[in-house]
Amino acid sequence: MRIFLKVWRQASPDAQGRFVDYTAEDVSPDMSFLEMLDVVNERLIMQGEDPIAFDSDCREGICGTCGFMVSGIAHGPDPGTTVCQLHMRRFKDGMRLTLEPWRARAFQVLKDLVVDRSAFDRIIQAGGYTSVNVGGAPDGNAVLVGKTASDKAMDSAACIGCGACVAACKNASAALFTSAKISQMALLPQGQVERFQRVVKMVDRHDEEGFGSCSNEGECEAVCPKEIPITNIARMNREYFRALLFSRD
Amino acid sequence: MSSPIRRVLSSTVGTKLLIGLTGLALFVYLIIHLAGNALIFAGQDAFNVYAHALISNPLIIPLEIGLLLLFLVHIYKAITNYVKNLAARPEAYDKKAYAGHTSRKSVASSTMIVTGIIVAVFLIIHVKQFKFGSYYQTVADAGVRDLYRTEIEVFSNPFWVAFYVMATLLVGLHLRHGIASGFQSIGFDHPMYTRRLTMWSLVLAVIISGGLAAIPVWVYFTH
Repeated sequence: MRIFLKVWRQASPDAQGRFVDYTAEDVSPDMSFLEMLDVVNERLIMQGEDPIAFDSDCREGICGTCGFMVSGIAHGPDPGTTVCQLHMRRFKDGMRLTLEPWRARAFQVLKDLVVDRSAFDRIIQAGGYTSVNVGGAPDGNAVLVGKTASDKAMDSAACIGCGACVAACKNASAALFTSAKISQMALLPQGQVERFQRVVKMVDRHDEEGFGSCSNEGECEAVCPKEIPITNIARMNREYFRALLFSRD
Repeated sequence: MSSPIRRVLSSTVGTKLLIGLTGLALFVYLIIHLAGNALIFAGQDAFNVYAHALISNPLIIPLEIGLLLLFLVHIYKAITNYVKNLAARPEAYDKKAYAGHTSRKSVASSTMIVTGIIVAVFLIIHVKQFKFGSYYQTVADAGVRDLYRTEIEVFSNPFWVAFYVMATLLVGLHLRHGIASGFQSIGFDHPMYTRRLTMWSLVLAVIISGGLAAIPVWVYFTH
């Protein structure tokens, strides 16, 4: 296969970026998207050029490190898939693809396709944890959690924080990420103690980072590699409403 | 309003709560408005009696102020929210595609700010034409306004008929995303009903905008 790439190249956060055209030759349909880029990069290195910078780590779709826009869709056209698990057999010989970094005020481009997602870490730091001391680990069945609640909490906790939701959202909102991180706590007994402070603090931090608000279009849900549903966002809104009405702190 | 509450209501989530709540309240008002106006089909007397009962009710002034406040909060919050959202992505994508899959993005959801502003302008003209429009007295009772006659007068002009039909179709487009979105914003979520709500949004939008558009068309062709 031969793939024509139009890639965003930007040397540093402050540098002026531009699109550069590359041709990926001898692409095997069995290659992952990142392996295809590895081949392009090897040739660039041989030619003494700067390779295309992109984030990746586990390359099995579970770590949340990789991610960029493939022809206008975060992580590419396959639903529920990170770009490292997107395979070249998905594309046709001779296709033209545009590769761009996530675009958001809160995600500064560091180099080429790599963006700074530490804004997500700061949202977690604002309250995505339990800080009360509850003593030693309780007996296995001492704290009962209903099957439905436990399943939903696990589904929310599946968020790998890749940033695709922000990238896909027309408002560059991190509502899906923030709501998943709020939900995984709000659904479990351990999350009840700081329930109200948590949602307010995390939403505050979300706003301070410069993310937009949710327009309920669900583009985020559609591109999410972990298929986190926007019912999480409804839950976050509900939690926020409750905090507004009932919080005594 | 204390300062922490104001701060909370200016957050992204608080803003959407307010837009959702006011939007849903306006949607409820619109159903009542359509039901009342449909009395035009029942004839001149029924329509005028209804209009008089509304306007002579002592609660009408506080209700109108409340309605105006709903509109002002909804419009103010939506516009400031839109401006903030634009700032959240200073550099646009060279290429952006519809994500497909489970996305609910539609023409309606992408044009909320445009349809909203056009509908707001339409409402000013609408109120001026009817509430503050030409005043006639009914023959039977000099104290009762013949609003029916005003309506027949306005809709005898094909320009206004076309204008009202266009405007009510835009109201429908706004509702098509707005109803389901409003429920989602105020935190309504249910494994079964949330999915159905998207479909019901479309059905209700068609019924309401169709019903509103039917009035000027009916008046034009029957009078």
